[in-house]
Amino acid sequence: MAAIEVHQFAQCITCHAWNSDHSMVAFCPNNNEVHIYKLFQDKWEKLHVLKKHDQIISGIDWSASSNKIVTVSHDRNSYVWNQEGSEWVPTLVILRLNRAALCAQWSPKENKFAVGSGAKTVCICYYEQENNWWVSKLIRKKHDSSVTSVAWHPNNILLATTSTDGKCRVFSTFIKGVDTRESKTGMTSDSKFGELIVQLDLSFSWAFGVNWSPSGNTLAYVGHNSMIYFVDDVGPSPLAQNVAFRDLPLRDVLFVSEKMVIGVGFDCNPMVFAADETGIWRFIKFLGERKTPSSGSKYGSQFSGAFGKFYGQSKYGVSNDGVETSRTSGGVHENCINCIVPLREGSTSRTTRFSTSGLDGKVVIWDVQNQEDLLDYL
Amino acid sequence: MANTLRLYLTCIRNTLDAAMCLQNFPCQEVERHNKPEVELKYVYWDQPGTSAESCRIPYCSFIKKALNVFLTFVIVLYTCMFDCCTCIFIFFFLFIMQVLICRNEAEKCLIEASINSLRISLKVKQADELENILTKKFLRFLSMRAEAFQVLRRKPVQGYDISFLITNYHCEDMQKHKLIDFIVQFMEDIDKEISELKMSMNTRGRLVATEFLKQFM
Repeated sequence: MAAIEVHQFAQCITCHAWNSDHSMVAFCPNNNEVHIYKLFQDKWEKLHVLKKHDQIISGIDWSASSNKIVTVSHDRNSYVWNQEGSEWVPTLVILRLNRAALCAQWSPKENKFAVGSGAKTVCICYYEQENNWWVSKLIRKKHDSSVTSVAWHPNNILLATTSTDGKCRVFSTFIKGVDTRESKTGMTSDSKFGELIVQLDLSFSWAFGVNWSPSGNTLAYVGHNSMIYFVDDVGPSPLAQNVAFRDLPLRDVLFVSEKMVIGVGFDCNPMVFAADETGIWRFIKFLGERKTPSSGSKYGSQFSGAFGKFYGQSKYGVSNDGVETSRTSGGVHENCINCIVPLREGSTSRTTRFSTSGLDGKVVIWDVQNQEDLLDYL
Repeated sequence: MANTLRLYLTCIRNTLDAAMCLQNFPCQEVERHNKPEVELKYVYWDQPGTSAESCRIPYCSFIKKALNVFLTFVIVLYTCMFDCCTCIFIFFFLFIMQVLICRNEAEKCLIEASINSLRISLKVKQADELENILTKKFLRFLSMRAEAFQVLRRKPVQGYDISFLITNYHCEDMQKHKLIDFIVQFMEDIDKEISELKMSMNTRGRLVATEFLKQFM
């Protein structure tokens, strides 16, 4: 069993995040609050309720080393929460947005965070010591539609975004005074803030969910047309692979290792994609158990039902009455999964554990370590 | 149940399954609004950056599912000419995603999908004037009580008898497969209901006529 822990925290969860040692979880129960639960001897207890936003919270991220929580909401605001004693103290971040904020992520060095928004902009926020204030710099006029997801490259400079115009874009977010020149290894050193490094126009549908591989060599993002895209050599001449699958589209992706990707989405069951020795990506399997067989047999029965007309109904004996009821997912999650978060142990680049949350209000922790058939890809 | 009705409903079920991938999506045109995108009328269809492009659905998986059914339809069409089952797909890849599934001229189902909402419009079979008026009155009765049904639209789309509007909030509160089951069950029952109404109407008419004519005996 790949799912090792299942917690029913709320009716419906929009997003969640863990602290550095995974003893506390923060999530939004589909309203304007953030609930923080802590593990006390095998029991999760509600510790704090962060109430400051006035619309649904769309993104949460918890920085591991500096222990700060950033939340963004449809009310166009963002707060950085800092723990002082037993209290969480919010600091308002002026995003200068006129539409809802949709997603947020801390950079790997945790000196910046990125916010994607419905205003077709991306905000890069950083702390200004002298003003004691989080300042945001905007990447404007590069997106044609809402920015649905952001992902930081491990080098702390590059930022990948996906948008409902179907494109995935990579930007440089070099900010003078915050980033140093040495950190820009491997990239052309003259890239300024907000410069579009590459625009990937692979999807002809909305794009959601983007993630970099641990080394930063590969980028994966998903389209709403049931496709997942893998891009190598992000730069002037990227190499792209499209993988189509027969199930419902994905919402979010996560690199578990350089050769394995987990995708979650409307099928309520995490999907495993992996690259073989030649670097060809393909769909491997569903991570959760699935009771019902694939829908292929369903169509088969229809065909045989139609052929039954040729050969006489009785021969095939297909029961023609009643429309078959929809398949239930039969997995751990009962509704769309919209968030996947890695559970990183220490400084290893390998992530074998991750957690997912969905509209059914469950937070599920998965471990791919005990899946023998997947060990090769780890 | 007739085999063709089963195929018609299966086609609708699979299309709904693929189209009902909805999520919370705040309006990117109007500040602090969150409305069903399928109900919004955008003027600037061909300008990039308007929500025109946000009205596509996962038609890759959808094509696979729907076309399988479509093929079955074609086979049925060839095998039994008397069962006129046709299925027309209308794709507006760039704009709003619409699928029209027709069983025959009188019975059809239009499915329109956007990022956070889905509209299903049904045209119910009306063989004669009586069925016409019964359907109209009955569905009007239902539409006036739309709150009780949650997913029912107060007013049907033009050219159709009844419409459902499913938003991401319905998908959060209710299970998706139950929602689809409800729609399909509704379609199954509505025909039965109408023919029952017609039968009782005829019976009553006959009774009234008998009673009325008794005085002349």
